[in-house]
Amino acid sequence: MKSEMARKIILGDSEANLLRVSRDMHLGLSSGEMQRVKNYFKNEGREPTDVELQAIAQAWSEHCSYKSSKIHLKKYIFGIAEDKVLSKGDAGLVPLDDDSAVAFKIESHNHPSAIEPYGGAATGVGGILRDVLSMGAQPIAVTDVLFFGTKRLKGFPDPKFIENGVIAGIRDYGNRVGIPTVSGGIFYSDFFSPNVLVNVGCVGIVNRGKILQSAIKEAGIKLIIAGGKTGRDGIHGVNMASATIERGKEDISTVQLGSPITKEPLIHAILEANERGLIYALKDLGGGGLSSVVAEMLEAGGMGGKIWLDRVPLKEKDMLPWEIWISESQERMLIASREENVEEILGIMDDWDIISNVIGESEKGNRLEIYFNGEKVLDVEVEFLTVPEMYDRKAVIPARKATSEIPKLSRDLTGYLSKMLSDRNVRTKEFAVRQFDHTVRGATVIGPFTGIIGREGPSDSSVIRPYWDKDLGVAITHGSNPFHSQTDPYAGALNAVDEAVRNLASVGAETLGFSDCLNAGDPGNPDVMGEFTEMLRGLGDGASSVHIPFVSGNVSFYNESGKRRIPTFPTILAVGKIEDINKAKTPDFKQEGNPIYLLGFPTTDLGGSLYYRLLRKKGGIVPLSNPKVLLNRASKLLNAIDKNMVASVHDVSDGGMAVTISEMIIGSDIGAEIDISSIGLRPDFVLFSEPQSSWVLEVSKEMEEEFVKFAGEDAIKLGFTSGTQLTVLNGEKRVISMDSGEITKRWKEGYW
Amino acid sequence: MNRSPKVAVITMEGTNNELEAFLSFKYSGGNPEIVHLKKLESKIKKIDDFDIIFFPGGFSAGDYVRAGAIMAARIRSKLLRDIEDFVEEGKPVMGTCNGFQVLVELGLLPDTGRNYSIEAALAPNISNRFEARSVYVRIKKKNCLFLSSFENDQIIKVPIAHSEGRFVTRDDDILKNIRDDGLNVLTYVDDHGRETGYPWNPNGSYMNIAGICNRDGNVLGTMPHPERVFFHYTQPDWTRSRYVDGPGSHFFRNAVRYSIEKF
Repeated sequence: MKSEMARKIILGDSEANLLRVSRDMHLGLSSGEMQRVKNYFKNEGREPTDVELQAIAQAWSEHCSYKSSKIHLKKYIFGIAEDKVLSKGDAGLVPLDDDSAVAFKIESHNHPSAIEPYGGAATGVGGILRDVLSMGAQPIAVTDVLFFGTKRLKGFPDPKFIENGVIAGIRDYGNRVGIPTVSGGIFYSDFFSPNVLVNVGCVGIVNRGKILQSAIKEAGIKLIIAGGKTGRDGIHGVNMASATIERGKEDISTVQLGSPITKEPLIHAILEANERGLIYALKDLGGGGLSSVVAEMLEAGGMGGKIWLDRVPLKEKDMLPWEIWISESQERMLIASREENVEEILGIMDDWDIISNVIGESEKGNRLEIYFNGEKVLDVEVEFLTVPEMYDRKAVIPARKATSEIPKLSRDLTGYLSKMLSDRNVRTKEFAVRQFDHTVRGATVIGPFTGIIGREGPSDSSVIRPYWDKDLGVAITHGSNPFHSQTDPYAGALNAVDEAVRNLASVGAETLGFSDCLNAGDPGNPDVMGEFTEMLRGLGDGASSVHIPFVSGNVSFYNESGKRRIPTFPTILAVGKIEDINKAKTPDFKQEGNPIYLLGFPTTDLGGSLYYRLLRKKGGIVPLSNPKVLLNRASKLLNAIDKNMVASVHDVSDGGMAVTISEMIIGSDIGAEIDISSIGLRPDFVLFSEPQSSWVLEVSKEMEEEFVKFAGEDAIKLGFTSGTQLTVLNGEKRVISMDSGEITKRWKEGYW
Repeated sequence: MNRSPKVAVITMEGTNNELEAFLSFKYSGGNPEIVHLKKLESKIKKIDDFDIIFFPGGFSAGDYVRAGAIMAARIRSKLLRDIEDFVEEGKPVMGTCNGFQVLVELGLLPDTGRNYSIEAALAPNISNRFEARSVYVRIKKKNCLFLSSFENDQIIKVPIAHSEGRFVTRDDDILKNIRDDGLNVLTYVDDHGRETGYPWNPNGSYMNIAGICNRDGNVLGTMPHPERVFFHYTQPDWTRSRYVDGPGSHFFRNAVRYSIEKF
């Protein structure tokens, strides 16, 4: 190993020297990890090359290895409802019907977006598309849940600059690849300054006979790199995502550059090769680049292999071997193929003007060897490259709040509703979401907004009809509540499961599976780890009670800067199924004179609620989902929808029931007259609390009797749809009175 | 003709509405094929193998310069004569969104001067942002073969999704000719059927123009996407009404029927 291109690195004996090497080469490895590396090469009887050290640093990064989270993930959420999982890989799969399956995943692109909002968010979309494509699936929907800071901090970009950049990045990438962006959310809080979070999801469909996997289990399988060329963009991305962001030290070269116009034909070409049965295994090149992907594909099948790095098509000629090996340049896929299919695959790529080349092959044994211009630059056991030491970090479980402060009852509840409707976290996100094409592919049955054209209100879930010859619908939504999680990470996570199932039931969909994107601070902080395990316990309790699996996901640690850190919370991407899209429901009221029911019950726990935040109160008890109740009510709702009893339905969420009903008025211009006295709680608790497992239903008046019999004590009659005014009575007393026009104006604030 | 008309849905990298266009023709009785521009340039496929041409939307070549310009330039250099012949034979040609931009860049629309010179452009929306929503469009069907089954003055609901959709002309005479000849077959209106401009006109188009048909009635370009509302349940308000045909289906069925009857 004398290559001038690959340097030999002298590790030396002292801990100080090991750490210096780690720091100088941006490896992000601890002294213990460096010691392990040193011992390994001592046994090999030589010093490592820079290619080898860089490869190890990729594989052992928090981002790639889940070294701080894996033992907790295993304990709390792995293995739930395995009987409902079809396959797991870069994305997870659940059956849709006898012929087809849904592939989906959500993951974070937080760090790149904090450093370079436009490029970071754009390549987030690109990456998640590739994850779904890796399973052989045709992407049918992109989703994004965004968390923006509101506080300007010295030395960091203006929050508005970050927000605009992220939205533009998603727009310019997502719209160009021609996959509709149909679902998501935007949250604002000062605790997201300067750590913006970009959680991006993708859903795809695949014929069950065409599902791909990534393990290479035989020798002589050829490895083909296809798509974008490899450049110096996105070097050390995973290492950057495995550290906190320091003011003024952001390294823009760690963020990749996206090219949707390469991705769009790449998707076609890969799917065509899959359709023709030419692909043996497939994986996308994301974090860690070739280094992670080659090692993971070989390790999964128990193979060794050879790579010729000089065969990788490059953007820049003079790249060093280690740069080529770990570059995270976008739009690249690694296709594994039997020798006899290689020519045909290269031909398909060429037809779509996609650059591709054979760069290596699998071999019997357990070693990976890499050559560059004839010289060996890496020779390590595959397992050493892929399996780092796992950490069981110290965790301090946060104390749960035992009491809530009871606020004084305001006389002006109309004023509070008004404030809630135009609160940044409630009001329409159309200024952003309508920059995303949500109708491309002509299959969007329910998009982000529904109702009368020109005055649409929000929907609970989106519904895609993936096949024009079937009435089957795929419903897509999210569950996430950073405010609940900040106050109580366990409750916040459990409620995110509730919200996901609730939103799917709202459109008439049965939940098939979850994907979880977990956002947190520095895992070295015992408080963060305590919150992290509490969050996982919440997700586990929720998912196991409703018997729904987490099929995919990711963990994003280190979302902190200086003393500021984000709450520890999940974003769940949930996918459901509707047998007949003609039965799908939307929130907009349908006609005057229909009875309105609450399926659920308000709570006196106000912790984390929008009402509490408006009152500037902190802490308190966060309402807690009871998954048994959720299951029972959701199944009642699905049954009622199936029996055509429900005209419209909307879940109770941020801002409580008053906001729910207002949003049902927005898309319809039909008002409501309700009386809350039968509930027997203070009107502000009834109207503004955020109980879990609750929906407001407009019941078809012809079916009311049957509905009451069927729903029993779970349903409380509130009143009727009527006129164009929202009137809330508490017995004799009128507590809210607001015109439909005013409601709409408040909610649409900031859009037109 | 006593066969199903062959439809070329022409794509290149960045074109991305080909699936819904393909299916719309298929469900209208056509025999569609997605044809990469490369195959036409290299003569593996020929324009006159087809009976209908459709230019779908998307971002051909990324639209990093003026929308549709690069695709149009590629067609202009190798295929222009073939396409002009196709048009002159009276065969149906339609483009939506990016496809409309390509037809304008090729001079096939509005073509008031009858010499295929570039008379108009689709400029950036006056809101200066991408807009994705449904709009109301009034139909004046004139002799446009794609609109034959609509009622005159019928208002339909169709989605738009573009950042460059503002139809502007090179000069006022062209605009006047468009009006005099009634080439502006599709017009943005508000929820009461009135022409009130932005936001009902989502891009600030001159004369609220949403779509243009040539004088012979066989070339149609629209910013709205009929191929995305072939069925009514891809409308944002479909849960508020009983089942009706998706308004988009008319465009494709009319073209297929026309081809069968005329050729």
